[in-house]
Amino acid sequence: MNAMSDDSKNIFSNYGIYDLGDDLELSLPNVSIKFQRISDNAFSYFRENSEGKIVEKIIPVKSNDLKIELAPIRPLNYPARRTNHVFLKFDKEIYLSKNSAASIFIHCPIEIGIFLIHDSNYDSLDWITCNPLNSRFGLYGSPDTGTLCKYAQVSLATGYDDSNSYVEGVMQIVVENTLSFGQTISKVIFPITDNALYYQDSKTILEGIKITMKKRAAVNIADVKPTPLEIDWTMSPTWEDKVSSTPMEMDLE
Amino acid sequence: MVLELLQSLSEMQIVGELTVLSLLVGGIIMAGGVIIAKIAKLLFHKYYAPSLPQDTAKNISKLIYFGILIISFLGFTSSQGIDLSGIMVAGGIFAVVIGFATQSVVSNLISGVFLIVEKPAKHGDTIELPDMGITGTLLDIGTFSSKVRRFDGTVTRIPNEKFFTSNIRSLTTSTVRRADVTVGISYESDIDHAILVMKNEILQTMPFVLQIPEPEFRIEELGDSSVNIHVFVWHPRDDWSQAQPILLTILKRALDKSGIEIPFPQRVIWTGKD
Repeated sequence: MNAMSDDSKNIFSNYGIYDLGDDLELSLPNVSIKFQRISDNAFSYFRENSEGKIVEKIIPVKSNDLKIELAPIRPLNYPARRTNHVFLKFDKEIYLSKNSAASIFIHCPIEIGIFLIHDSNYDSLDWITCNPLNSRFGLYGSPDTGTLCKYAQVSLATGYDDSNSYVEGVMQIVVENTLSFGQTISKVIFPITDNALYYQDSKTILEGIKITMKKRAAVNIADVKPTPLEIDWTMSPTWEDKVSSTPMEMDLE
Repeated sequence: MVLELLQSLSEMQIVGELTVLSLLVGGIIMAGGVIIAKIAKLLFHKYYAPSLPQDTAKNISKLIYFGILIISFLGFTSSQGIDLSGIMVAGGIFAVVIGFATQSVVSNLISGVFLIVEKPAKHGDTIELPDMGITGTLLDIGTFSSKVRRFDGTVTRIPNEKFFTSNIRSLTTSTVRRADVTVGISYESDIDHAILVMKNEILQTMPFVLQIPEPEFRIEELGDSSVNIHVFVWHPRDDWSQAQPILLTILKRALDKSGIEIPFPQRVIWTGKD
């Protein structure tokens, strides 16, 4: 699969599996990637991002065939891997009246992973971000006991087709208010390592989450849990090592 | 031949019933104990310690090592026919005498135990001891002393008593830390504009600076030559080097780019003739 996608007059490489052959050049917004065969048993890898940072690697191979997969991954690696949690601040607050539920779509930032494929095994080779300015840290809670998160301000999306190629995927959030009064929600914090990503061409969808606002004893909390997604798009390989995360509970404002 | 040698050794008495042979057997037991203790410690370090927290691993390692040594010592004493109950009584009196003589040593020992129990800092933590002017990484809490590796690479040994009774500031316990610098702008400059310029530069060029809580700007002082602005930014605790040392550079570059003057002290001298 060597298709290209047209994005605002620029032609960028689609997500998918690429056969390296001898040379391969991939183009993404603000990022260029080159694979070159340097001998029968080795390839070179070159990547330059928008900040001028260059990464070069040598990839020894056993067979002549080498495939790579370009796929969206969770937004946890830039500028450095420090957390499994994301802090998504909605650009517009959502109000839910008592005993009601709603379903919304949001744009969630993504990064892009490059995987080497050996006999159906996936090795993580490199990751990139096409929008480093929307990849920052935020703290949920107090400095001593709080949760460090990847922070992003996100906008509402109209549906799964509303993904911003290479930069943001679409995530569905189901919000349920079981409280006896209306509640406004302006942010969500959760471990994104439980949410799989799916891609098609240059578009990305992330598994959603369900936020349940409920009363527990004397406190009101928002319980955040991942929700599985059934879709015929291609599922991205997992970049991170498998980690188990505990469900997130947020305090309500 | 060997039997005859052993027989002769068993007949060579040193003190009372203590013979050369029994002493040799005791020595073998002790040497075996030391070797087994070292091997057990080595195996533990190789196969189990990497999966445990650093301080827990070190404590368990010491427990294994000294536990085997104590068992070996008990084996040694029983092989020599030594009655420990007598030693206990004599030892009690002796301990009082020794206790007075080695007060600081015992104090360090007890403090070491308390440090392990209370855990004011763990192995690998970056700590500051303001009373002693020491900042560095805690390497080890030993039996009598603790070791801190300073940022210049040197290792300082601190007696446990001093370590236990001094103020300990942990730089790695919190999730995030704050860096701060003071910048002066001229009185002619628009303060709000200068703050906006600095804030934008921080958010664009310092990826490790947290957006929540966002960078904070406080007017610290109307100084002799400048309006001094105190800038606070938060960063993940392990990324101090990506915030504090470069913050002033980033702010100066932002102010320079926007043409905002960073003044320096000037004095106008009027002579009487003028």
